[in-house]
Amino acid sequence: MRAPRGTGIVLLALFAAAPPALVGQQDAAAAGKVVYDRWCAECHGEAGQGDGSAAASMLPRPRDFAQALYQIRTTGSGQLPTDADIRFAIENGLPGTTMPGWPNLTDQEIDDVIVYLKSFSRFFAQGPAPEPLDFGSDPGGGPAAIEAGAAAYLTMLCEECHGLSGRGDGTSAPTLEDWRGLPIRAADLTEAWVFNGGSSVEDMHTRMLTGLDGTPMPSAIDAMNSGVVSPDEVWQLAHYLASFGPREMPPLREVIRVGRAEGGLPADGGEEAWAGVEAFHFPLSGQVVQLPRNFAPTVDGLWVQGLHDGIDVALRVQWNDPSNSPDPNWDEWQNKITAALDLDGAEPIALDSAGAPTVRPPDAVLLQFPFEMPEGTDRPYFLMGDAREPVYLWTWDSETGVGAARGRGLDSVEPLAEDPVAGEATWEEGRWTLYVRRPIEVESDGLDFVEGTPTPIAFQAWDGSSAEVGKRSSVSTWYYILLEPPASSTVVVTPLLAMLLTGAFGLVLVRRAQDRRRDR
Amino acid sequence: MKQRGRALNSQLRNSFSYGGKSMRSHFWNRSAVLLAVAAMAACGGGGGGSSEGAGDDAGEAAPAAAAVDPSTVGTISGMANFGGMVPTMEAIDMSTEADCAAGYGADGPMAQNVLVSGGGLANVFVYLSEGVSGAPAASGAASLDQVNCRYTPHVLGVQSGQDIEISNSDNLLHNINATPTENRGFNISQPRAGITSTQRFAVAEVMVPVRCDVHGWMQAYIGVVDHPYFAVTGADGSYSIANVPAGDYTMTAWHEEFGTMTSSVTVTAGGTAEASFDYSGEMMGADVPMGEALVLEHGTNRIRVERTQ
Amino acid sequence: MRRYLSHPFWQGAIVVVASYVAFEYVIGYVLPVIGVASAPVPSSVIVEYMLIVLVGVLLYMSADEERWQRFREPIRATMVQPDRRTVRGILMVAFPVLIGWLAYERVKPSYAAPATLRAVHPAPPNQLTFRGETIELTGLENPLREEGSMEEHLAVGKRIYVRNCVPCHGDLLDGQGHYAQAFNPVPADFTSSGNLPQLTESYVFWRIVKGGPGLPREGTPWDSAMPAWETILEQDEIWATILYLYDQTGFPPRTWEEEGGHE
Repeated sequence: MRAPRGTGIVLLALFAAAPPALVGQQDAAAAGKVVYDRWCAECHGEAGQGDGSAAASMLPRPRDFAQALYQIRTTGSGQLPTDADIRFAIENGLPGTTMPGWPNLTDQEIDDVIVYLKSFSRFFAQGPAPEPLDFGSDPGGGPAAIEAGAAAYLTMLCEECHGLSGRGDGTSAPTLEDWRGLPIRAADLTEAWVFNGGSSVEDMHTRMLTGLDGTPMPSAIDAMNSGVVSPDEVWQLAHYLASFGPREMPPLREVIRVGRAEGGLPADGGEEAWAGVEAFHFPLSGQVVQLPRNFAPTVDGLWVQGLHDGIDVALRVQWNDPSNSPDPNWDEWQNKITAALDLDGAEPIALDSAGAPTVRPPDAVLLQFPFEMPEGTDRPYFLMGDAREPVYLWTWDSETGVGAARGRGLDSVEPLAEDPVAGEATWEEGRWTLYVRRPIEVESDGLDFVEGTPTPIAFQAWDGSSAEVGKRSSVSTWYYILLEPPASSTVVVTPLLAMLLTGAFGLVLVRRAQDRRRDR
Repeated sequence: MKQRGRALNSQLRNSFSYGGKSMRSHFWNRSAVLLAVAAMAACGGGGGGSSEGAGDDAGEAAPAAAAVDPSTVGTISGMANFGGMVPTMEAIDMSTEADCAAGYGADGPMAQNVLVSGGGLANVFVYLSEGVSGAPAASGAASLDQVNCRYTPHVLGVQSGQDIEISNSDNLLHNINATPTENRGFNISQPRAGITSTQRFAVAEVMVPVRCDVHGWMQAYIGVVDHPYFAVTGADGSYSIANVPAGDYTMTAWHEEFGTMTSSVTVTAGGTAEASFDYSGEMMGADVPMGEALVLEHGTNRIRVERTQ
Repeated sequence: MRRYLSHPFWQGAIVVVASYVAFEYVIGYVLPVIGVASAPVPSSVIVEYMLIVLVGVLLYMSADEERWQRFREPIRATMVQPDRRTVRGILMVAFPVLIGWLAYERVKPSYAAPATLRAVHPAPPNQLTFRGETIELTGLENPLREEGSMEEHLAVGKRIYVRNCVPCHGDLLDGQGHYAQAFNPVPADFTSSGNLPQLTESYVFWRIVKGGPGLPREGTPWDSAMPAWETILEQDEIWATILYLYDQTGFPPRTWEEEGGHE
C-alpha cells in the first residue's frame, strides 16, 4: 500500500516547526479531520485517495485529494484550486455525480475541512494556489450571441466529443477516459442540471477556460490566446451551451395528459406531428433495489408525449443515449465499464480471443401498466409486478423492436400471444425516439384505458453499450397517464344549473320571509 | 499504487488495440520528424538524438554545450539492441480522421510501441540516473508536434524547468492531456493548425504520459530529468550523449513496453564510453514504471526497478 | 367586537371558518413546520369534515329556542329589512356564483393524480421471518448495543449505509440522495424529528428487513421503492446500520418503556 505521502509531509512540517501562524493551521487541520472522517472518508478514503469503501460503485470515482486534480477551479489547467474553488464544490456538490452539496456543514467546518483536504497533497505545501484566471466580462446573450456561439462550437470542434446536438455522442465519446484510465462520458449539454461545475453561463464559461482537470475536457485558453476564438466568442459559446436546454431539471408532473388528436394520430415519431404536444419529463434512477444493482446508469430520464383519437393511443418517448447499441465502436467502452464498475454480482460479459465482447446487448425501454386495472388506488409492485399482480409491458429493444409482454417481477417476462402494441424507434445524434401505439381497449387482455381516468404507468431503460442487461437498468416508480375525454356539455351545464337553482331558492326564501313579515 | 499500475496497463493496451500488421514504418522518412528529432536532441544540451545526422544540428542549437570545457567531459554512446522476433505492431484505425489517414502510405498508420530497424530499438529513453552532481540549467525549448494524428517525437526527453513547445501541424482538434504524478499536469485544446502552447515540468519524472482524448490512439511519453544527460534512441537504436562530466554513473534505459534496465558507465575526459542495452521480444509486458521517482538496485544488466513508497 | 363574539350567529361563523383553516392549512402545512409529521388533507375529506362541523353547529344552535332565535335573527334581518337591500342584493348574486363555482370545480376534467392516503408509520407486525428465521419484534432491542465495540459497529454501519443507502437517502441522511428525485414518494428523511426518534430500533429493523414489499396489504398503495434488505444484507449489518443512523443524526431511539407508556 502506498502511504498517504502528502499528509505525512505536511503534518510533519506542521508538527516539527510549528511557528505561530502554522499552529492555527494545525488546529484547523485537526478540526477538519473530524469533519472529514465523519462525512467524507467513506467515499474519498481515509487518506484522501478517492478509494473509500463505496468508491467502486461510483463512476466517476470520488476525487483523489492526494493527486490534487480538481475539476472545478478558477485557475489554469493543471493548477491547484483556490480555497474558494474547493468551497464552491463542497457547498454546491458536483451535480451529475454522487457528490452532494453539504448545507449541513457550517462555514467554519468547511474552512477546516479545506485545510485538511489540502494536507493530503504535497502540491499544496509547495506554494499557494495561483490567482484565478481573468475571465473578462460577459458581452451579453441574445439570439445574435447564441448564433455566434454556435459558430464557435464548431470552430472549437466541441462536437468531436459532445456531438453536434450536444448529447455527448461525438466521434471520440466511446474512447474517453479520466486520468485513472476509467471510462468517462462527454457531458450531455442538453442536461445542464447535471453539469459538475454548475449550470449558469458564468459557470460554463469558467469551465471552458480552466478545463476539467483529470477528465478529457481541455482548457480552451491557449486556443483563445492564439486567436482561434476571441474572448467574446467564448462567452457567446457559453450562451449557446445555455440554449441547449433548461437549466434546472424539468419539474415533475405526475400525470401525462394525453390530448385528443385533431385530424388523426401521428403515424410515426416525426417531429412535425408531435410539435406542440406537451412533453412530460420523468427522472430515472439506477435499479438499486434488487441484486445485481446498477449504481451508474446511462439513461437518467425520459420525455413522454401522448395523443389519442378515441380508438388508439399513441405515445412518443425520447431519451438520450450516446450509443446506438449494438455498435462495435463502443466495444472498448463496454469492456471498460464492465471492468471499472462494481457489477454487484452480475456476470461480466465474456470477451473473445481478440478482446471483443461476446455479447453486445441492445438498447431497450419498456413502458409498464397494471395488467388488470386494480381496485381503488392499489398498484402492482413497481419493479415489473409480482406473481400476485402482474404488469402489462410495452417492450422495445433495438434488435427485436416493439412488443407486448406480461411481467411478474424483474426475472419473469413472457411475451403476449396476442400483441396489440405496434411502433418503431429511431436513433439520431445521441437520442432515441420511440413511437408506440395500441388500441385503447383490447379484448384479449385486461388493460383498457378509460378516458378521464388516470392509469398507472412506469418506465425502465437499458443502454446495451454500457453492459446494461437484465436487472442492471434505469427505473422509475409509478406515475399516471390520462386520456382526455371528449369535450362535454356537463362542464358548462352543471354549474349553470346549480347557480340557477340556488338563485331561485334564495329568491323564494327571501320572498316568503318578506311576505310573512308583511302578514304579521 | 496497484490502481495506477492497472490504469496504466489498460492505457497501454488501448494503444495496442488498433489492429496490426508489420512494423515497417514510413514514420522516419518524414522530414518533419527529423526536424523534431533535431530539436529534441538540441534540448538535451547537445546530448542524444538519432544517428541520422541530427547530432550536427544539435551541436549548433545547444548553448549549454558551448560553455562546457572540453577537457573535463566525455561522451556516452551506445545502442538499444533488439534480438529475436519483433512483435507485430497493430494498425491504427484513423478512419474517423481521413485527413490524417491520408498522410500514410498503403499500409496505413501503425502503432509505435516497438519500433525496430536493423536490430536497433527506437524510442528508448536513456538518462543518467545516479552519479550526477550539479548540472547546467535548462536552456532552449523542446518541442512536441502533432503530425497526422501522431505525436512527433513519440518519446521526448526534457530537463526539469525546460520549456516544451507543443504545436499542432494538423488542421483539426487535438487536446494535449499530460497526466504526471510528480508534477502538475495540463490539458489544453488546439483546435486547428499553427497553435503553439508552452508548458514546463518542475521536477524530474520518468515518464509523463501524454494523450489526446479526441484520438485515443495518440500517445507520447515525456521523460523529465534534472540534468541534460539524456537521449532518446533513434530509428536505428543508437544514441549518444555529449559533454558529460568525467565520472562514474548509473545509466537507466526506459521503454514503454520493456520497462527499465540499468547499466554502469564510466566517463573519461575526452573519451567515449559505451553503454548498450539488449532487448528481446520475450520482454513484452514487463512492468513499466511510470511517474514516480525510481530507486534502482545495482547489478549488471536488466535490473528490476521498484518504485519508492 | 364583543357584541359579535357573544352573538350565536357570529360564533357559528367563526367555528366554521376556524375549522376550515385548521383542516386546510394547519394540519397540512403548519404542523410539519413545527416538527410534527403530517400531510395535507385531501379536498374530498375536507368537504366531509366541513359538513360534520356545519351540522354540529346547527344542532347546537337549534338545541335552545332562545339561542336559535338569536342565531336566525341576522339572517332574517338581511332577508327582510329594507335598509339591508344592498347586502341582500350582493348575497343573492354572490351565493349562486359560489355554488356554481363549486359545481364547476367538481365536474371539470381533472388531470391530477388520484389522492392517496398513506400512513406515515404503519403498524409493525409482532414478529418477522429473516430468511426463514423467526424473530420476535416485540420488546426486541438492538443486540449490538450489548456486545462488541461500538466504534467498530458504527464503522460497519457507515460502510453499509454509504454503499447501499446513499443513492436514495443521501450522504446527509436527509432523503435527498442522487436518485431521490426519481422516486415517488421520496425516500425517508432521517434528519426529520418525525422519523427516527419516534421509532424503536426493532421497528426500523422491520422496515429495513422487509422494505416496500413487506408493508401491510391494507395500507396500499405504499409505492415504497425500499428494497427488502434481507435479500442483500446480514442481520448484524442491518443492526449496525441502525446504530449508524441514530449516531449520525444524533437522535435517541424510542425505547420499549415509552412505547408501553404510550398505549
